[in-house]
Amino acid sequence: MSDYVTTLTIYGGIAAVFAIVIFAVYNLLSTRKDIVSEMASKEGYDSDNQFIRDSLLTKPRELTLSIFLNDDAKSIGLRYIVTSILFFFIGGAFGLTMRLSLTGPNLTFLTGDEYNVLISQHAVLMIYMWAVGSALGFGYYLLPSHLKVYRDIRGLFSSIGYWLWLLGGFLVLLAQSSPRWYFYPPLSLQLNPNGGGLYDWLAVLGIEIVLVGLMITCITILLIVMRDRSPEVKRDQFSLFTWSIIFTALMILVSAPPLMVGFTMLFYDFFNPVFFTASSGSVLLFTILFWFWGHPVVYVAIIPYFGLIYEIIPKFTGQKIFSYKSGVFGLGLLLILSEVVWGHHLFNSGLGFAWVLFFSTTSFLVVIPSAVTVFNYIATLWSSDKIRLTTPMLFVINGIVDFIIGGVIGVMQSAYPVNADVHGTYFVTGHFHFIFLGITTGISFAAFYMLFPTISGGRTYNVPLARLHFYFTAVGSLIMSSSWIVGGALGMPRATAGYFSFFLPYQLGSILGGFIVGIGQIFFLWNMAASWLKSPSVDNQNLLESPNPIVTVVPKGEME
Amino acid sequence: MSDKKGRNLELYFMIGVLVVLLGSAAANYVEIAANPGSIPTENAIPPAGSYVVRVFATQWAWSFEYPNNTTSVGSLTVPVDTNVSLVVTSIAGAQQSAVIHDLLIPQMDIQIYAVPGQNNTVTFEPTVVGSYYFECVEYCGEYHYEMRGYMEVVSR
Repeated sequence: MSDYVTTLTIYGGIAAVFAIVIFAVYNLLSTRKDIVSEMASKEGYDSDNQFIRDSLLTKPRELTLSIFLNDDAKSIGLRYIVTSILFFFIGGAFGLTMRLSLTGPNLTFLTGDEYNVLISQHAVLMIYMWAVGSALGFGYYLLPSHLKVYRDIRGLFSSIGYWLWLLGGFLVLLAQSSPRWYFYPPLSLQLNPNGGGLYDWLAVLGIEIVLVGLMITCITILLIVMRDRSPEVKRDQFSLFTWSIIFTALMILVSAPPLMVGFTMLFYDFFNPVFFTASSGSVLLFTILFWFWGHPVVYVAIIPYFGLIYEIIPKFTGQKIFSYKSGVFGLGLLLILSEVVWGHHLFNSGLGFAWVLFFSTTSFLVVIPSAVTVFNYIATLWSSDKIRLTTPMLFVINGIVDFIIGGVIGVMQSAYPVNADVHGTYFVTGHFHFIFLGITTGISFAAFYMLFPTISGGRTYNVPLARLHFYFTAVGSLIMSSSWIVGGALGMPRATAGYFSFFLPYQLGSILGGFIVGIGQIFFLWNMAASWLKSPSVDNQNLLESPNPIVTVVPKGEME
Repeated sequence: MSDKKGRNLELYFMIGVLVVLLGSAAANYVEIAANPGSIPTENAIPPAGSYVVRVFATQWAWSFEYPNNTTSVGSLTVPVDTNVSLVVTSIAGAQQSAVIHDLLIPQMDIQIYAVPGQNNTVTFEPTVVGSYYFECVEYCGEYHYEMRGYMEVVSR
């Protein structure tokens, strides 16, 4: 009898606390709504949200919980930024768990199935939630200032886009599926733990929802650029970051629909396999639909960050970008060429000589815009009198170096004889981790550090901790990716839970590098916690939004 | 740096990049045109006189069927100094359906997808007697990592 009483007391207590919390939150929200409504009607607004958006327009926004309630562009931007950082840490933890499980050539503490779940989730989270999310975040946050928008009326659609993107991400996490991020049928149609995972259909649904969210978001961003910008900002005065976001949005709009159609057909195949089956002779058709999106989406991980580099370099060198025109040209050409190289993911699938020749030639050409862009960076740095090596600038320089290494490694694979050797090995993993860690991750953190005084309401980050974050990330990623490239050149296959024992040294090298990167991110968390606890001490302006360098917002010790 | 000087520099740099790229693309063309058999091709007929091995990928093993109708699982034996053609396909194994695999023999520069319902052919010529490793490099489910083994090149 007393057992029941104890149980009842415990669960009843939990339920009561839960109910009180829910009621408190509801009470808070409804009080807030009443106050906002009253203020809005006093100002003559019909819509509360429009009132909030107008009163926040062009003002610096702080990172508080209210960003999830307000739907002005900067709040949406901050939502994307904090959510993507959260997913970066989840995906990173998955990555480190995989590294740790590879300490021996045979299975260690993960089963093959668990390893495959982690590898699928790591890829999906890092690409869709981190690279894309962070790019959209900085786009939403910075574009209103760069374009001096005169109105902010698209909060509803921006908010819908955000929540769909987040819902999709959570569904993918929940699904615990293991088809990798390619979702190649018939493997992804095998609804059991040995194949695609029991709930693989949920992951397909989740990514479809993410894509719908992205379409809405990208259309909204393009509308903001076209309709809402101040008439005094002419097209040839757009910042290079604005161009990079325009090209990113266009790229997503152009390349996502083929995969959305592909995923719809794949979803139908779960119930009635008719489209992508061996008997219909069209297993490879899905892979083509997939890479039609899959290649451009990995360029989403660089184009916006190239734009951010263009914004960051002038702030710490005092030098204008070497050539605005070639900057826009490089980013635009990258968008166009990214759409014509997808076949290089399928060189060995039986397409034959003509297809291989076409796609290997276009893959060589995709270097041209990258070379234009990198030349532009180096020429700007070269011709400046003084380079201030602040933490964001260190991330930028490291990003450029990593991009050159990763890019050269990448273009080597355009040559078929090389590709036949290294496709599907860690060589490829090393290639894109150089770029994802150097450009995507590094530049995101650089921009985050620069925004820090604004989003923290006038606080500065701790410089030594930020430096440690930088050095650990840079050195760790160099060790990790280099080990993969050497191992991959010898044929070390990627996405495997076990390996030939003679690959052990390369695996251990990458584990060492991976953990150095991981420790670096702890310094970031520590820095954020420590800096937020301090009281505001500076202007809440930031370098990315102001037209002139404001030295006061950079922490002491950053600029000697 | 003056504007004109800078523009000239960019021009020279781009010409240099283009020369390297077009040179690499040309080298790539020459290499694959000289040896088109090294590219996996659907339903390609193996060259006359080549040693044809039928390769069946399942979840999760490679099996090989030799010209003399013998078979082996997990290891491949081929003669040296002979054109060896692999005709690769994927069939259902432990699971209900067949999935995509990819056979990589790094030291032979050979990589070929095993696609359900499709026969891909690739031809190569081992020139040194010895033991070489091969592995599956297209993710194919839980025991993907176990689809690896050794190819023995033996004297005729």
